[in-house]
Amino acid sequence: MLYKKKWPLLIFLLPGFLMMLIFLYLPFIDNIRNSLYDMTSIVKMPGQEFKYIGLDNYKYLFEDPKIRISIINSLKMMGLTIVFQIGIALILAIMVDSVKHGQQFFRIVYFFPIVISATAIGLVFQLFYNYKGGMLNQVMAFLGKEPINWLAPSMAFIMISIPILWSYVGFYFVILLTGINGISHEVYEAASIDGCSRFKQIFYITLPLLRGVICTCVTLGVTGALKVFDIPWAIVPKGAPQGLTHFLGTYMYEQTFTIGNFDYGSTIALLMVVFGIVVSWLVNKIIKPDDNL
Amino acid sequence: MIYDNIDYIIVMYEAVICCIDKENSKGGFVMSKMRKILAMLLALMMVFTLFAACDKKNDENPNVPAGTNGDSKDKDKQNTNDKDEKPNDVTLVTVSMYGGTDPNAENYQNFNAEFMAEHSYITIEDDSQSADQDWKTKIAADFAVGNEPDVIQYFTDANASDVLAADKFVSIDEIRAEYPDYAKDILDSALKAAANPDGVQRAVPTTGYWEGLFCNKDLFDQYNLELPTDWDKMLTAIETFKENGIIPIAVSLNNVPHYWVEFLMLSAAGPDEFAVVPEEAPESWAKGLDMFKTLRDLGAFPVDTDTIDNDLAGELFKNKEAAMQLDGSWYLGGIPDQDNTVLVSFPVIPGGKAQPGAMVGGISSGFYITKKAWNDPDKRDAAVKFVMAHTSKDAITTYWGGNGQAAAAVDPLDTMTPLGVSGLEYSSAASSISSPTDSRISQEAYNTLIAGIVDVSTGAKSSTDLLNEVLAINAK
Repeated sequence: MLYKKKWPLLIFLLPGFLMMLIFLYLPFIDNIRNSLYDMTSIVKMPGQEFKYIGLDNYKYLFEDPKIRISIINSLKMMGLTIVFQIGIALILAIMVDSVKHGQQFFRIVYFFPIVISATAIGLVFQLFYNYKGGMLNQVMAFLGKEPINWLAPSMAFIMISIPILWSYVGFYFVILLTGINGISHEVYEAASIDGCSRFKQIFYITLPLLRGVICTCVTLGVTGALKVFDIPWAIVPKGAPQGLTHFLGTYMYEQTFTIGNFDYGSTIALLMVVFGIVVSWLVNKIIKPDDNL
Repeated sequence: MIYDNIDYIIVMYEAVICCIDKENSKGGFVMSKMRKILAMLLALMMVFTLFAACDKKNDENPNVPAGTNGDSKDKDKQNTNDKDEKPNDVTLVTVSMYGGTDPNAENYQNFNAEFMAEHSYITIEDDSQSADQDWKTKIAADFAVGNEPDVIQYFTDANASDVLAADKFVSIDEIRAEYPDYAKDILDSALKAAANPDGVQRAVPTTGYWEGLFCNKDLFDQYNLELPTDWDKMLTAIETFKENGIIPIAVSLNNVPHYWVEFLMLSAAGPDEFAVVPEEAPESWAKGLDMFKTLRDLGAFPVDTDTIDNDLAGELFKNKEAAMQLDGSWYLGGIPDQDNTVLVSFPVIPGGKAQPGAMVGGISSGFYITKKAWNDPDKRDAAVKFVMAHTSKDAITTYWGGNGQAAAAVDPLDTMTPLGVSGLEYSSAASSISSPTDSRISQEAYNTLIAGIVDVSTGAKSSTDLLNEVLAINAK
């Protein structure tokens, strides 16, 4: 009982709560309501009424081939995030932790992509991939090879995944490196005295003691994968080519702001929230941090 | 404003806490309690400041009828009308489609600069952008929440339906009752063409437009090809260019296939059938759209037509890497090679009902004055002057520049380039002029049509299914 009276605390919490209520919870409830109406414009003009369509949008979710592609791509991105973003970040963090000098330098180098705007990264990669005059095709021309359509349907998803995965490695790298730094050196010293090699120390000390941090990274990664939007939209908008690179975020944006199907866009937004809750719950169930650690 | 208030509160808080800290050394329970009370009061003030800041705009909102906004505004109006006294400073918020890469963007900004120099008491805050779907959505949202500009150059057809529903524009008749010279240079036919779907004239147009097939004539000459005046010549050109590593048609199917949608459907259906919005997919419309797959299979489009944007497609044409491009009259001024580029009537597709020379075009935009500006005594006069400055004969001549149609009786230009002359000849020789589909169907329906073109071109979706989906959305 740090404070005898709790009500003063409520007053201090009020501004934050109001902000959350006005800018998050009320729009979320409004979003659910919007998904039940046929919205002919993004906002209701004075005197305008929207027709109630019930669950029509939710039924259409099961028939829409593009939403299927979006869900599959988002699931693929979750897997790729765990394997490549967190996996590479973990390897880099362990390696940088082993470096005695210049740790700060590597921290900056690997974290740097995080501070670059995602749109800028998207535009840079768009310039790499351009069929006419793109950097990769200039390299191909230099090597005497035919130009390649890097964003052809067969390779577009991979090419778009590369900058998404690359740009966030640094984020998890910093989290994991901070976690590794938090492990007591005495544990490593004791292991060394007992004859445990540096390689074995990673598997028997570092990784088990990092389990909680890794769990957090995985949760952040898979929920973040659901929100992927800016980089793919900057490289090729509207899920191009042929809607094959749509993620839930890009498809929701296209339906809402490009096509103007605001009610269906609201339905996809709700699906993303439900999907996020279910996925993060599942991840926590599967890789629950060990209570003993 | 909100930040000023919060800064003030923080400074006050620090000052009070500092005093209390000094007193606290003398100390006691009373000071501690006082500190808590003050902290709570300041927290409450912050909450109220938040609301006050949000609400403040209402106090300043001029969107109230003249005469109901207090005596001072009435006095201001009298002052404005009094020629002996200097008018009050006015900030006019304007929006136009002459922004971004629009060839008239510079002309528009020049007129704004001249206007402000001429009327020193008027400041223009302009937010012009190229008109795309995102921009239209933003404009609709602004109108819905009362954040509309004072003057806007916007669409006049079904594209404006969202904004027109808000009923925030003043009609030309109402303006002319007070300013008889308003839109005096505009042709009656142009004003009628720019009337809104409900028949009311609210917008003052500057220019109309046409859409046509731009051809790099030098490339056709280089490969001994005839210009594509009929479909057989078009197919021959596509095959020859393809064999020689030239992209036959520059188009981004993922971004702007609009012109092809219009011309293929017009060509297949003819102007009469094209202009009627049916309930079910007409065979002719579907036949027109099926041509996307035929052309794609022939290799007429760029390899990366599914991923490039319209600007890049335009660059392919301008750099002579592509031979043909369908675009609008606004595109003409931006083509660097004005000597070797020509306009050709879109060839009628096999079995098409259109006559040769059938053209897509019309007048679809104009300057509106919003009620927000009209009901503000200071802004009313400034807004009217602003629109008159942009729709005078001289301004329209500049905007027209030989491209498209002029809304005023302009004099022919001596400086017209060969491409400009070609455009004038093309539009003058049109056998029919049809307005595009998006002027007749809802935005959501039209955008669904555009979004489905890539699938039609690959065969992933039939044109009939797409059109039925579009017409069902339109019928909602």
